[in-house]
Amino acid sequence: MTSGARRELLRVALATTLIALGVRTAPAAYADTRWTLPRMMEGFAAVTSARTRFVERKFLHMLDRPLESSGTLAWDAPSRLEKITLQPKRERLLVERERVTVERGTPPKRRTLALGDIPLLRAFIESIRATLAGDPDTLQRFYEVTLEGTAEHWTLVLRPSDSRTKSLVHQIRISGAHATIATVEIEQADGDRSVMTMVRDDP
Amino acid sequence: MTRKFLPIAVWILVIAAAAVVISRTRFSADLSAFLPRQPTAAQQLLVDQLHDGVVSRLVLAGISGAAPDQLAGASRALSERLRRDGRFVRVDNGDASQTERESAFVFDHRYALSPAIDAQHFSAASLRAALEDALELLASPAGLAAKALVQADPTGEVLLVTDRMAGAGHPATHDGVWISADATEALLVLQTRAPGFDIDTQEATLVALRAAFDEVRRAAGNAGLTLALTGPAVFAVQSRAGIKGDAIRFSSLATAMVALLLSITFRSPRALALGMVPVVSGATVGIAAVSLRFGEVHGITLGFGATLIGEAVDYAIYLFMQTDARRGAGGTLERIWPTLRLGVMTSICGFSALLLSGFPGLSQLGLFSIAGLVTAALVTRFVLPSLLPSRFAITGVERPGAMVRRAFERARVLRPLIALAVVVALAVLFSRDRLWNDELSSLSPVRTSDQLLDQRLRGGLGAADVRHLVVARATGPDEALALAEKVGVALDRAQADGYLAGYESPAQVLPSGRTQLQRRDSLPDEATLRRNLDTASAGLPFRKGTFEPFIDAVRQARDAPLLDRAALAGTAFGIRLDALLAHHAGGWSAMLPLTGVTDPAGIARALAGLHDAHVILLDTKAESDALYGTYLRDALLLSLAGAGAIVILLGATLRTPRRVLAVCMPLAAAVLVATAALVALGQTLTIFHLVGMLLVVAVGSNYALFFDRALVDGIEARTALSLALANTTTVIGFGMLAFSDAPVLVAIGSTVGVGAFLSLVFAAALAPREAVRS
Repeated sequence: MTSGARRELLRVALATTLIALGVRTAPAAYADTRWTLPRMMEGFAAVTSARTRFVERKFLHMLDRPLESSGTLAWDAPSRLEKITLQPKRERLLVERERVTVERGTPPKRRTLALGDIPLLRAFIESIRATLAGDPDTLQRFYEVTLEGTAEHWTLVLRPSDSRTKSLVHQIRISGAHATIATVEIEQADGDRSVMTMVRDDP
Repeated sequence: MTRKFLPIAVWILVIAAAAVVISRTRFSADLSAFLPRQPTAAQQLLVDQLHDGVVSRLVLAGISGAAPDQLAGASRALSERLRRDGRFVRVDNGDASQTERESAFVFDHRYALSPAIDAQHFSAASLRAALEDALELLASPAGLAAKALVQADPTGEVLLVTDRMAGAGHPATHDGVWISADATEALLVLQTRAPGFDIDTQEATLVALRAAFDEVRRAAGNAGLTLALTGPAVFAVQSRAGIKGDAIRFSSLATAMVALLLSITFRSPRALALGMVPVVSGATVGIAAVSLRFGEVHGITLGFGATLIGEAVDYAIYLFMQTDARRGAGGTLERIWPTLRLGVMTSICGFSALLLSGFPGLSQLGLFSIAGLVTAALVTRFVLPSLLPSRFAITGVERPGAMVRRAFERARVLRPLIALAVVVALAVLFSRDRLWNDELSSLSPVRTSDQLLDQRLRGGLGAADVRHLVVARATGPDEALALAEKVGVALDRAQADGYLAGYESPAQVLPSGRTQLQRRDSLPDEATLRRNLDTASAGLPFRKGTFEPFIDAVRQARDAPLLDRAALAGTAFGIRLDALLAHHAGGWSAMLPLTGVTDPAGIARALAGLHDAHVILLDTKAESDALYGTYLRDALLLSLAGAGAIVILLGATLRTPRRVLAVCMPLAAAVLVATAALVALGQTLTIFHLVGMLLVVAVGSNYALFFDRALVDGIEARTALSLALANTTTVIGFGMLAFSDAPVLVAIGSTVGVGAFLSLVFAAALAPREAVRS
């Protein structure tokens, strides 16, 4: 795909997102209503497609400075989430329904995994995917969910309910405004954490 | 009375003795019968491999007919069942979950197993490169999960060893199990415990495999799931079943038709039953003779031998049809015996050529045929007349006999046509570059669709191509492993040059003691390692103390005992090792199956650099083709010699060149035209066609000899009819086989069916005028 075409695609995706947001936020009557999980989920459920760049920083005990990686994220309702890491090494992670496809190395080698086989991976992925899908049931199946803040600046705190996941992940904090995600922060049980920040391509 | 019963008593005694011998006979399917008496090392290896080798135990399986999720589930369920079943020594579906024990083994012994370990591997420079790679891994999405492994194994030995052990081919995976690139077929590699030669046990193993799959399919509740199997074991079982099935089906049909024809003609159930006595007696004595001379009887001898003595069926027909009330059976025999005797001797000349072959398989065949035919002829001569009802005569044969005789008389008009046919036949035969197919696969009863399935699964799995194999032989297991390592170095070079895609080696699973020692000795002491690590991590973000698990592991590896075969026992690696490292009479053999060979000559050059006669690159296809080629040439030359012997025999008996020519010409013409017809129809000739031609000569010589005998009085109506009847039964019996799916049966059936018919027509057409006058 040429970069022009990609930009075009991003513009369409962005437009879709903005329209969806506009529909949700336009009536002033909602502005002073309390910001609740159902309300927030409704907002996400209306977004069928979104694209963004991301920068991810990992803070590991074994390292004295954070590790940085970056790439693109793409979401297509109801279940397709694609994470392409471009730096420092190209790697593609595609989640579609119950399946994860990983492509890495040169030449790219593809592996397909069932989400159900790797509970830890599933918990990670559903934290973002179920949020984007506006699917509170799935979120609550894996996590104790708490929502803080306002529509303009909210934070979703997810604590694993499964003990095996709990032994590895302390909590996941997702923050954003309306139906967009700004950061995803994963805190591991051993204190290591990673922070993924979305970078908006403002036109 | 004595004169009448003595032959019967002798016959019963001989048959009883033969039966005793047969009851103690070992029937083998041993491929060494196809080895020349002085085999080369490669030929011997080839036969050993086919007999008992790794590849002869390989079964590739594909499950299709459902969505990828369901296929993966079925693959898991099937593997789980088969791993509990002792009949399989290897069940591989790509599923990683079974290898927890194996993963632990690789992790614990990573510094003994990793080929990367040398004196430089833990130098500051190497460690620096490794740590930079580790940072990239940590930055990737897998980073959080890889943290622990990076700390214990920053140089990535576990990944390297696991990758190499996974074999050269890496199929795609779906839900963790192997799947074809288009995700329509889940793939499995199985290895049977039963060796390749033990077709009975392999068959039972495959039955158990299919039963296990049926259970999986039932449990899945999807009747659309299908299992496709391929591999040498599957082919062997299928072809045996196919040939057996076809042979039984077509032979029963042919037998029923012949029996119907004969019972209409003989109108005597007793005569019908007696007609089989010479053949059955011949086969019995034939088997016993081979057993006494060779100590065992090969399955092939039985199959072909029964065909070759098919001539004996005709003896009874000649006797019964030509017997009339006036002369009785005894009188008739006295009359036709000289002709039958000469016919038998002619056939013996043809078959005795086989007896002298350098291949035990061919000489068994020769002995069987000769002993069988002689017995059948003697039984016809001395036993049958006594068993026939007195005054046995077949009535109502005069009219049809006369019709046949008239037809024979008119056959002369065909002479120009025969001349033309022979010319065309010669043109066809000489225009072919490759008349005889000397590739062993031409004998393969494997259907093209099965061959395609095999290619598909093999391609999908990246499995060893079964064709190329390096065998390294040594006195002990450790020496064989050491040699396999040297071979591995040469193969790595050949792989880098693009001559092959990969290979498996027992040394990947268990390095030789020497190599393990070298690796252990090259591990640095703790102080050196710490110093190197410090230097390497300068400027990198790793905190001090991160790699303590790594330092501990290296320290422990320096003191660890060497791995041996016992250490692998009970793991999947132990089973793999047993498959690739075999004990035999002369010592130990390491086997290295090759994958994706593109340039065998390049590989051979790389191996020649080792200057070791104990390393042999075995191209099983080229080697077996060469072996079969020798076998075929041997048989062809001997058959030509047999033809020469027949001409000499006939010359000595018939005395005048005209009579010899009248007997030989129709036979030669019939063989030529029949062969050319099959070639023109697209068959390439194999050893089965040659067997068919020998039979045409054996059967056809009788026709020509009866015409020769009729030189004095002209042919009798009864004789004419007996020839037509004998011919019809032969054409039905063999022609039927031509409709089979098995190439073996098609070759023999079509050659004999067409050849025998032409022999009779040509014999009548080319007979001297006085032989066929009314």
